[in-house]
Amino acid sequence: MRRASLPAVVVVLACVIVLAAGPLVLPPFYVRVGQLMLYSAGLALAWTILGGFAGYASFGHAAFIGVGAFAAGLVELQLSGLPPALQLAIGLVAGALACAVLSAAVAYPILRLRGTFFAIAMLGVSHVCAELNNNIDFFQGSLGLNFPPVAPVSVEPETFFYELYLAAGLVVLTIAWWIQRSRFGAGLLSIREDEDTARMLGVPTERYKRMAFVVSAVLTGLLGVIYAHSLGYITTDSVYRDDTNLDLIVYSMLGGMGTLFGPVVGAFVLVFVIQVVLARLLDFHLFATGLLLVIIVLAAPGGILGLVRDFWARRRRDAAMPAE
Amino acid sequence: MNLVAQTIVDGLVLGGIYALAAVGFSLIFGVLHVINLSHGVLVLIGAYLALVFSQTLHVDPLLTIPLVMVVLFAIGYVYQRFLIQYTVGRTPLGSMLLTFGVALMLQNVMIWLFSPDMKNITPTYAFASFHLAGLAFDAVRVSALVASLVLLCCLAFLLKFSALGRVIRATAQQTLAARLCGVNVRHVYALTFAVSAAFAGAAGIVIGIILPFSPADEALWTLNAFVVVVLGGVGSPAGALLGGLLLGIANTLTAQYVGPAFPNVTMFLLLVLLLLVRPNGLLGNAFSASR
Repeated sequence: MRRASLPAVVVVLACVIVLAAGPLVLPPFYVRVGQLMLYSAGLALAWTILGGFAGYASFGHAAFIGVGAFAAGLVELQLSGLPPALQLAIGLVAGALACAVLSAAVAYPILRLRGTFFAIAMLGVSHVCAELNNNIDFFQGSLGLNFPPVAPVSVEPETFFYELYLAAGLVVLTIAWWIQRSRFGAGLLSIREDEDTARMLGVPTERYKRMAFVVSAVLTGLLGVIYAHSLGYITTDSVYRDDTNLDLIVYSMLGGMGTLFGPVVGAFVLVFVIQVVLARLLDFHLFATGLLLVIIVLAAPGGILGLVRDFWARRRRDAAMPAE
Repeated sequence: MNLVAQTIVDGLVLGGIYALAAVGFSLIFGVLHVINLSHGVLVLIGAYLALVFSQTLHVDPLLTIPLVMVVLFAIGYVYQRFLIQYTVGRTPLGSMLLTFGVALMLQNVMIWLFSPDMKNITPTYAFASFHLAGLAFDAVRVSALVASLVLLCCLAFLLKFSALGRVIRATAQQTLAARLCGVNVRHVYALTFAVSAAFAGAAGIVIGIILPFSPADEALWTLNAFVVVVLGGVGSPAGALLGGLLLGIANTLTAQYVGPAFPNVTMFLLLVLLLLVRPNGLLGNAFSASR
């Protein structure tokens, strides 16, 4: 395992401190936008453990948001007497367990598919979960589930969930960072680059893929549980969302596919653009999002981080070979 | 017994239309290796054009098929040449996102032009029906099915016997070899896309006369096309027909015997199952013979 470079750690910690202080100075609207940015960044990081590192781009991670949220909600329904903090903790455990079980069960058949087929099969998983959740009365998907208010009385709920998302995002970032620098991460990278060769060289590709899938699913499920609490009331449609399925890919594409900080940058930029810049242009919303996608694909196939890297590489080359 | 037969017949009729709606998607997938997520939008453009043409020209919607196909042929050629060509041969994710972006933009344009409401094309024989061997047939559905089958046969002949079809198949099988033999690959890619867009438009007309449609339906038709292609196999009209019929029957049987809310569940279970058992679809990849 390689050691983390000190400057990077310092920069990340500084960013976290600045972000944590955000709700003290920002107006409530921007705290809510910040919530969404942190939540999306967390999801994007969880997605990238499988989609970015191992190259298995999932088009159905909303399945785990939904399963996590509903598992937590149904368990918490039985525990209405307990203190809210304990309920949230138990809900998180329930959501994580449900996602772990589901992903471990689905992983075996579905990870045999590659590329586009894997992506669309995951979309299928997400739709099947959503419909079963919606149509089987026990899960209360169409009726909706209420979640207990977990924010302490002394703190604004917006601020509380903002800090909770920040903490969760930091946990996901640390895990993703650790994975990227471990032997496991190197194995995932070799799967992305050439799975058959990796297997031939003795990388346990099947086990690594399954582990990455379960880790990614569980982290997504945990964020889903927090999301459900911040909404307070969920139905099937509010957690199993196809736009989430798509956005998770777009964040990585926009920031830089396969990198650690690319998804975070992509999530921050896209959420900010959609929530703040385009908020007043509801009629143009689809058009602008589509145009943005087209521009990303054509102009910056490596994402924002790719552009930055190219820029630095050109600077360095120009410095090494001065013009005539 | 009668109910079973009627359900299966309904499924077959629906399946023929699914097949037509998917065949263009299948062709692009087979030749360009691009997942065209804007396929559903092309289908809907066909439906809206037929609505406009049949109202302004006062003709039967099925007679607008040649006109709509010409318009979509042109749109498809330009679209491929100036946008999609830049993502061909790169990662599949790039072309998927590009076509998805275009789909979002065009969906928004359709909402501006035609409103987000449901529309339908009503031919003069909309409510006629007839009975055969104890089963009920709608005149509309039967004419839609016949139109689909005729168009699928046309495409099969085009691919099999015409010079264009030969060039398309050659490019799909061995791009490099085709180029060495003097095939202008970019041009062929654009023509393939244009043909596929034209057939998507024709499918839109057929869909328009039997079902109501709105701009938000595009994702449904893209997804259906994908499932049909995965079920049947990539690149051939026969594969699309087989996949379409399977999907149609699965849909109507589920809606009848399991519950109207469950067709998607069976559709995707079928899809995942088939991907695991026969990853290349029931008929395999039509173009992979020499790979």
